[in-house]
Amino acid sequence: MIQIAILFLLLFFPAAGFAEESYTFDAAEIEKNPYHFGGYVELRPVMYVLDKDAALYQLQYYQDPRSTLMEWNGRFQLEGSYEKGIGRVFVKTNTDLRYSTFANGNERTAIFDGYGTLKPSPSWKFEAGKKTLKWGKGYAWNPVNFIDRPKDPYDPDLPIEGYIMATMDYIRSFDGPLKTFSFTPVLIPVYDHINDDYGVNNRLNVAGKVYLLLYDTDLDFIYCADGSRTARMGMDFSRNITTSFEIHGELAYIKDYQQPFLDSAGVLQSRTQDVVSGLMGIRHLTTFDLTTILEYYHNGTGFSADDMKYYYNYIRQGYNRYNSTGNAQMLNAAQNLATGGYGRLSPMDDYLQLRMSQKEPFDILYFTPAVTVMFNLDDKSYNITPELLYTGITNLELRLRAGFIRGSRDTEFGEKTNDYRFEFRAGYYF
Amino acid sequence: MFKIIIFLVTMLMAFPVYALDGTVLLKQVDRNLNPESYEMYRKLINVEPDGKKKEFTLFSVKKGQDKVAALFLAPASEKGRSTLRLGDNMWLYIPNVGKPIRITSLQSVVGGVFNNADILNLDYAVEYDVARVEETGKEHLLHLKAKNKNVAYDQLKMWADKVKKLPTKIECLTAANMLIKTLYFKDQKDFGGGIVRPAVIETDSPLYKGYKSVMIFAKIKKRSFKDEVFTLTYMPNLESLR
Repeated sequence: MIQIAILFLLLFFPAAGFAEESYTFDAAEIEKNPYHFGGYVELRPVMYVLDKDAALYQLQYYQDPRSTLMEWNGRFQLEGSYEKGIGRVFVKTNTDLRYSTFANGNERTAIFDGYGTLKPSPSWKFEAGKKTLKWGKGYAWNPVNFIDRPKDPYDPDLPIEGYIMATMDYIRSFDGPLKTFSFTPVLIPVYDHINDDYGVNNRLNVAGKVYLLLYDTDLDFIYCADGSRTARMGMDFSRNITTSFEIHGELAYIKDYQQPFLDSAGVLQSRTQDVVSGLMGIRHLTTFDLTTILEYYHNGTGFSADDMKYYYNYIRQGYNRYNSTGNAQMLNAAQNLATGGYGRLSPMDDYLQLRMSQKEPFDILYFTPAVTVMFNLDDKSYNITPELLYTGITNLELRLRAGFIRGSRDTEFGEKTNDYRFEFRAGYYF
Repeated sequence: MFKIIIFLVTMLMAFPVYALDGTVLLKQVDRNLNPESYEMYRKLINVEPDGKKKEFTLFSVKKGQDKVAALFLAPASEKGRSTLRLGDNMWLYIPNVGKPIRITSLQSVVGGVFNNADILNLDYAVEYDVARVEETGKEHLLHLKAKNKNVAYDQLKMWADKVKKLPTKIECLTAANMLIKTLYFKDQKDFGGGIVRPAVIETDSPLYKGYKSVMIFAKIKKRSFKDEVFTLTYMPNLESLR
């Protein structure tokens, strides 16, 4: 009778028999191999709704006017490493593919990282090859990151291509208020075909960073000697005030910074001055998992609102001349100025960025909606970027993003090529 | 005379109970869970109400009272990430981002019910004082109070087996006595080297109704490390300790 009852229970309530789920942890999952291969593949279609009155639209599309642009982007990354004894080599390649009806297709492949490491003890590490340093504490900007290529403040977590260099790390730990000391000297050669986009050729550049964990505060002191770029120094800090509130900041000083600019008559001039850049930021987490990052950035190497206005006027004059005579000389010159500084992602003096992301609202696991507002404090123009991120499927990351740009004429965001932007990104790690 | 003997025997039998030092007991529980310095592997499984699972594999190292680091080995999207805790300071290193960023104990680098304080946990006696101990049949019930406001949970209620001196259940509470989550310690296993402890911790939370997270332990070994391993500069190199 009892057996029949048990059978009945198992038939009608099968879960009852397996209420105590057993979990397995296979030893093979944690076995270490001396080598590792992995990668990432991404598809990212973007649709731009263009602003035909904007100066940068006129600069880019003067030969091929349009009101929307559909762009198909792809990214393929491969990485591999091999470790033996105290040595390790690591290589990461990146291929970017882009197709649009405006620019047709183009592809660029580069080695982002490729370096060898020797680590004779936990206190010493030597590396040589192509790599990034990622100095600084800021989320969107890093004014003290004197050596790496600038990161994208609208997508700061994207990997960036490194420079060829040799570095060393020396680490010491202590008891007491000073818990950690580390010193990182860096050598960056700039010669033909070696880092030749870094600065003046035929120089061996010397830089260094001292890191301290002092009174529970991260502190970095950074120096970059005069060489391919003028001498510069800086410091940064980061500290948790409470378990849910962090503050950070950076301060950078650049000596003899040379900046080409257009004057009010549209004549190219150059000024040389010592400049100071800085960043202050906070990161806060509420009890309901809303993370807020607020950063103020002063860009000492930036252009003033007047500088930008003269540049936009120059483009408009060039656009009018092209329409009346077919002569694109001024527009070509404006294109060159864009690559020389006016086209930077944060070209002006003062910015404020606010990012708010809500982790797993409504109990939807791995779902993170966020909104980022980039505000140009000099000309009061701004960019709002809402996004939805879902990482619930192992190794797959799905992100939907939009961009709404607002600003009057002669302002940074008012003169961007587009008014709206819609982007979907599907990335898969393997 | 007989009454005096009975009284003395009763007093002698009762003595260990009255003399029970909660702090000593908590330290015994800590030592029975892990050596003070160790390496271990863990698998974290987040289980959604529909049964869908997401797994993470970590290699963790700890030294002394306040130094813990963990390296993600899987899945591929997380591989190479590492977390470091030095006392109340916590950082996350993401290979793409490249520099360690400060994180807080209440955040979760893996999503789900486990937060950073659960993943980078220190000894309970380091973060909590024993407010009082109750007897509940085969278990002690330890009422623990956070030593300062930087600790993730203001209060813990820990049920510990009287004989094995290992926790069976822990309730994590706010200062207002609100239940944040419950940890269930299961599947006692001999890891070798005298380490016999639960191999599985399950957790659920009234804040995540229907969700469950599980932590499975493997290869817990006593091991000593240099202090320099537990630094920001070393975070990208944790793999070399395996």
